Amino acid sequence: MVKSGLLIAALWLCGFASVAAAQATEKPAEPVAESPPEPAPEKQAPDAEADAVDEDALDAAAVEADIVAQELSDEAKDRLDAARESVVQIRGFFEGSASSAFHGSGFAVDDGRRIVTNYHVVAQAVLFPRQYRLEYLASDGRTGPLQVLAIDVRNDLAIVAAAELELPPLRLRSEIPAQGERAWSIGYPLNLGLTITEGVANGLVENSIEQRIHYTGAINGGMSGGPALDRRGHVYGVNVSVVTGRQLVGFVVPAKHIAPLLARAKGPLVESLSAEQLRQRVTAQVLAYEAEVLEAAPEADGTQKVRGFTLPTKLSRHLECSTFDERSPHVRMRVETVSCQMPSRVLAQPGVYVAGLSVQHRIAQSTGLHPLQFERQVNDLAAGPRRAGAAPHVAPFACRDALVSLDGFDARVSTCVRQYRLFAGLYDFDVTVVGIDDPAEALVSRLTLQGVSFDIGRRTMERYLGALQWTR
Amino acid sequence: MLIEQVDPHGHVVLRHRFAAAGTECTVGRDLGCDIVVDDEHAAPRHALLVLQEDGRVNVRDLGTKNGTRVDGKRVPADTGAILERGEVIVGRTRLRIRTRHVPLGPERVFRRDFLTRHRTLLAVTGVAACMAFGAFLQWLDAPSSLPASVTKGALVAFGIIALWTAGWTLMAKLNRGSWNVRVHAAIGAIAAAFCAWGYWVAGLVAFAAQWSFLVRIGIAVVVSTAFVALYGHLREATHYGRRVSLALAGAVTLVIGVIVWVATIGVDESDVNRVALGPDVRLGARRVVPNRDTADYLTEVDALRLAAGRERQKSLLNAPLADAED
Repeated sequence: MVKSGLLIAALWLCGFASVAAAQATEKPAEPVAESPPEPAPEKQAPDAEADAVDEDALDAAAVEADIVAQELSDEAKDRLDAARESVVQIRGFFEGSASSAFHGSGFAVDDGRRIVTNYHVVAQAVLFPRQYRLEYLASDGRTGPLQVLAIDVRNDLAIVAAAELELPPLRLRSEIPAQGERAWSIGYPLNLGLTITEGVANGLVENSIEQRIHYTGAINGGMSGGPALDRRGHVYGVNVSVVTGRQLVGFVVPAKHIAPLLARAKGPLVESLSAEQLRQRVTAQVLAYEAEVLEAAPEADGTQKVRGFTLPTKLSRHLECSTFDERSPHVRMRVETVSCQMPSRVLAQPGVYVAGLSVQHRIAQSTGLHPLQFERQVNDLAAGPRRAGAAPHVAPFACRDALVSLDGFDARVSTCVRQYRLFAGLYDFDVTVVGIDDPAEALVSRLTLQGVSFDIGRRTMERYLGALQWTR
Repeated sequence: MLIEQVDPHGHVVLRHRFAAAGTECTVGRDLGCDIVVDDEHAAPRHALLVLQEDGRVNVRDLGTKNGTRVDGKRVPADTGAILERGEVIVGRTRLRIRTRHVPLGPERVFRRDFLTRHRTLLAVTGVAACMAFGAFLQWLDAPSSLPASVTKGALVAFGIIALWTAGWTLMAKLNRGSWNVRVHAAIGAIAAAFCAWGYWVAGLVAFAAQWSFLVRIGIAVVVSTAFVALYGHLREATHYGRRVSLALAGAVTLVIGVIVWVATIGVDESDVNRVALGPDVRLGARRVVPNRDTADYLTEVDALRLAAGRERQKSLLNAPLADAED
């Protein structure tokens, strides 16, 4: 439960200058694709370096701890010096504006002409090509327009390039670093200038669907797309997200996903496709991911038995469940809850997360309430909480409800479906099932699918309704 | 001939009776007139009323600038006007005239309608039903301190009815001179109780028969009840006739209805997080309609693809995407 909560709270690192001022710095557990704080007034020059320390001047017999500490910080300096030329800041501008709308980081790979970054850094420019343009800012101060060559939505990666930009490429390392291996992350956090942070790689995140390396070190908004380096200065991954409100829990996309994307990065993507086609491409990548992930069959029987009810929990192998006794404000009623959700989702557009699947079963039992009072509580359980969604991203729900005979009990089933405004192929499903047979015990169950194809939604719904059962 | 001088509120302030044929009656400010009016818009000698042989009244204007009017029409200077009954206006003073030509009906029998006859019973029942509903709503929530919550619910309901009744009784006292507390309490409370309990019962029926549209019918019934209640109040508290009362009650109901509609339904339509779960469930209740099986229901769900598409089209039409072509 805690683990999945953490991942969902991951903050995508692309910095959005335009919204930065309006948003509070601390937004724990809010999966927003931004929110760096205002740059500190005593901001340092982008290329400011710490004064180099003359190592020879130190006595070799100095305290061992001091030496160790010195070596560590020097290593960071070496890493940064070696990578400095290869890392760029990627900035997005709204129409003709001279001030940036969002920014992230990127680094040169391959022949030095292609730059790796995160999809979420360039997403606005991909989805709204007529509104946003991208520019790079190299460490030597050069700037110029950038083009998107390829995107990988599920791994949150993108390849960009500029016509006359050639940088020294960084070498990629496809193996995952061992747990505890020293690691560094480079980027432009909060628009404060090129920065390196030191930490340790903690291996692959256990419950993530897509591979993510857990990096214990500081990552902040704006470092998205920056390189994550190992001891030899090789790139083992790309900075992607961080958990807000916790300490130094960052995530890195393994570098092995870069090579296939480079192979696809033949020519400019945004220029060759219409906005509609670009959105369809993003949708297609999301759907391909969903086909693999949402309908992955569980290893064992994906149900759980609670108080005579058989409840579908593992509608997908990846769902993670927790069971708890929900505290009800009423002493004369108890609610047992089984809640399952996907440990990770996919960002289709800043602020829009898709490929979400969750199911929540609540079994309410009256322990002395009058049937009418209990009925009221059950209706309240079914109605709340409010659904999440923002008007710029989704259209209103269309609903259909009916009394349906399920296995062993009758229920009112209400299904609501809404389509995404930008992605015509994606839908949200909200299915609420309320058992109506017993005046003292009722199942209130809810299936939620976010940003799925209609067919996957309907099939998941069919499996869900088919698996619900009550044996009294 | 009976002449009644009427004040602007319709109250008779003076009454004159003349019986002898040929009697002439002058009206004006002059103290020598037979009917002296204290009206600056009237001439010292303004009009002359002559009771003719046939019992009718001849009204003549005595050459004034403002003229004399009979039933709204100006009296011709040469011939004057002849009338059996009507209203003569001198300046701004109204004189109601009746002659023996006016046929008299039988006496009006004392009649008290159902409402007036049973006003005590109706008022008590209505107020009690409203208080019971307030208490019932509180009880439904299964509060931790039942007596306090239930009392609060009942008192709130009583307070609302009391305020409503107070407004109408005050109006009745000002317009008609009597408070009529029980009548207005009965009208307000019975209407409110009918709507409140009707809403509850409609919920039961809506679930049993799976009629979502019953909600709309319910709204229509509430609006109609409000209209009838307003009409009743107006008739009991004012001097307005049927038509004016109907028009006023209709207008007020319409205005309130539009406000409520705009405040609830109108705004909610565009809410992307609004889900329609259907009528509230009633656990273990009798149902009129047979259940669907899962396959049938899923076929119905297929229709949602189109419906959701329509919602998207509507949404894009109302608020095009940020980079939509103009």
